Amino acid sequence: MPRALTPPEPTAAEERALERALRQAFAPLDKRAFGLAVGVATALVVFALTAARLLLDPTGRTDLSPLAQYFYGYRESWGGATLGAAWGFGVGFVAGWFVAFCRNLVIALWVFAVRTRAELTQTRDFLDHI
Amino acid sequence: MDDRTLPPPDVRALMLRLNARAWGIAVGLLLGGGLFVATNILVLKGGPVVGPRLGLLGVYLPGYRVSFAGSLLGFVYLFVIGYGLGSLIARVYNRFAR
Repeated sequence: MPRALTPPEPTAAEERALERALRQAFAPLDKRAFGLAVGVATALVVFALTAARLLLDPTGRTDLSPLAQYFYGYRESWGGATLGAAWGFGVGFVAGWFVAFCRNLVIALWVFAVRTRAELTQTRDFLDHI
Repeated sequence: MDDRTLPPPDVRALMLRLNARAWGIAVGLLLGGGLFVATNILVLKGGPVVGPRLGLLGVYLPGYRVSFAGSLLGFVYLFVIGYGLGSLIARVYNRFAR
């Protein structure tokens, strides 16, 4: 009769590697740092876009002035580019912070659900052991 | 070794680190792919004047036109821009993440 195959016990090194991988997979995003990073990128985009408009399109075929609808005081000028960058940083920071917050919340809820389900499965037949 | 004798986990190691290259490729593909798809949707729709507004991107991206060849060039342009933005986000994040 063939012996039943049982998976080998993981070694201590394998357990440590698994723990590191799981920690990396479920580690939270730093909200402040992510907001800062997205803010810097957004500021750069708004500034570069305005600079490109001023340098590459002096006749004004493209129109960036509707940005003023969202960024109060924005104009297609170097001053406007700086102000737009400041607005972009603010908006990007809030957006990045919120994305990181949502990501952390979803991961935390998911881990909570998985852990609760596992605990319920373990204790489902506890009356049988009394 | 008893778990209680292990040193406390390093809090810095618990915070997520971002891979700059992976972020660059991801954002690049998102932006480049977005322009590629948007351009080709207009090309397939056709009409007397194809994508007059999207064509204005050619002012900022020299050589870009609303055509299949233009969509390939636009993909390359926005992939490069997206790669730069994505890796910038990851680098700034890793610099300031506690």
